[in-house]
Amino acid sequence: MLNESTLSVTDITETAICFSNKSQTRLAWEDLKEGLVRWRVWYMLAYQDIKLRYRRSFLGPFWLTISMAITVYSMGYLYSYLFHMNIHDYFPYLVAGMLGWSLVSTTITDLIEAFSYPEAMLKQIKLPYSIYVHRVVTRNIIIFFHNILIMAPILIIFHQVAKLNACFLLLFPGLLIIYFNALCYGLVFSMIGARYRDISQIIKSLVQVAFFITPIMWTPEILPPSKRFIAYLNPFYSFIELVRQPLIGHTPTTLNIIVVAVITIIGIVASYFVFPARRSRIIYWL
Amino acid sequence: MARIDLRSVHIEFPIYNVKSRSIKNKFMKMATGGRIVKDANQHIVVNALNDISISFSHGDQIGLIGHNGSGKSTLLRLLSRIYEPTRGHVNIEGTVSAMLDIVQGVEAEFTGYENIYIRGILAGLTHKQIKAQVDEICELTGLGDYLAMPVRTYSSGMKVRLAFAISTCINPEILLIDEVFGAGDADFMTRARNKMISLLQQSSIVVMASHSDELIREFCNKALLLEGGQVKYFGSVNEALDRYHTTR
Repeated sequence: MLNESTLSVTDITETAICFSNKSQTRLAWEDLKEGLVRWRVWYMLAYQDIKLRYRRSFLGPFWLTISMAITVYSMGYLYSYLFHMNIHDYFPYLVAGMLGWSLVSTTITDLIEAFSYPEAMLKQIKLPYSIYVHRVVTRNIIIFFHNILIMAPILIIFHQVAKLNACFLLLFPGLLIIYFNALCYGLVFSMIGARYRDISQIIKSLVQVAFFITPIMWTPEILPPSKRFIAYLNPFYSFIELVRQPLIGHTPTTLNIIVVAVITIIGIVASYFVFPARRSRIIYWL
Repeated sequence: MARIDLRSVHIEFPIYNVKSRSIKNKFMKMATGGRIVKDANQHIVVNALNDISISFSHGDQIGLIGHNGSGKSTLLRLLSRIYEPTRGHVNIEGTVSAMLDIVQGVEAEFTGYENIYIRGILAGLTHKQIKAQVDEICELTGLGDYLAMPVRTYSSGMKVRLAFAISTCINPEILLIDEVFGAGDADFMTRARNKMISLLQQSSIVVMASHSDELIREFCNKALLLEGGQVKYFGSVNEALDRYHTTR
């Protein structure tokens, strides 16, 4: 980027002797490692974000849950008629899907601002950059566990269809996979969001579009068989299924797992190339 | 033993939202601030620090002096590892604690106690370690029952008291200070001064930026004069202050 011609060859060899010249890859690894070690910091920051948003309200973070509940319950009732579906099948499917969607979508949109939103803090104290990504993902996971209460009445009312069984335990590996992916993509997205402020607006509108083209309100089976692959190959769908299927007592399909695995590998590769190469520049973009 | 070595360190800020050349020219005419140039991608770049090579070792208490925009705060941020050099090499041995803009991190909606915990965790302490220190910090603030109230109810002087007490609870090897003595009444200033002196004595290296000659003379044994991002003089305090005042 910058013209480096002023640094002569002799300078480089001389400095290499008296300075431990750590490579950018090493520094990036240390950032990630230290980010994990200092979990107290991001857990505190994540919790503080939620507390701060609802500081003087009586119900606190449960306002999120209530507004979410009103949305999904009214949608579930009305849309089952709109799509001519059996309410017993549709209602739990929609509510569980919406829980997964709100986790995935708000995580993505928040991640873009993971560095640019706490800008002042980044300029004030040195913390590993990965801490800010952990903070965003943890915050959304905490909110998700508040929202999960919405499922309780559904498991009672629609108990013939949506069962609380051993499949529910699959939710935890599912969330772990989502967390890992959010970390990989989060490093990339938050860097892009810090460098190019327009990108965050583009991604936010793409996420809005994704809501309509992903089987959340509708099932892939509504599509004609020749067009179903569009839904099945949609990565959002597979990630949402990781949450939705355990919540209504089923397992995600093999195809879901394959799509998730492919997306995870892409995420690892992307963050492997982007984060070490550009990590030291992040602070200059803010 | 703490050590700081800088070898031909440059810090260049890319300015992404300044497009026109005329603005660049206007900037160049200004006496203060770093040199403004363009990089290969035609971004305007501010040379905040330009070819700095210095070494600090145990026992150094360095006063940073220079006009506004001479690179004092940038240098402190470089030493606190917030900025990584765009060119050159930095070697810092020892734990670093920076008191840059101390009031900045104080969260207005939280109480004084909560803020103490937040800062403690950010500094890498555990809940237990904070608990052991919390009484001492409360004592230093002298805020009493106000500590249980949200910080938004505090006056600006009270905020400084809280921030100061919190930031001085860590004993680092390298202490970086940027114009700490701001508001605060006489009673607090004496307490803050005592705390500051004990903190300075415990630290291996202190780097302190200040516009106050008295503070520099009192607390520092060396001085570094910066101008336009370059080292103008590094050595005795009196000589540095003399040169600083003649350039004005």
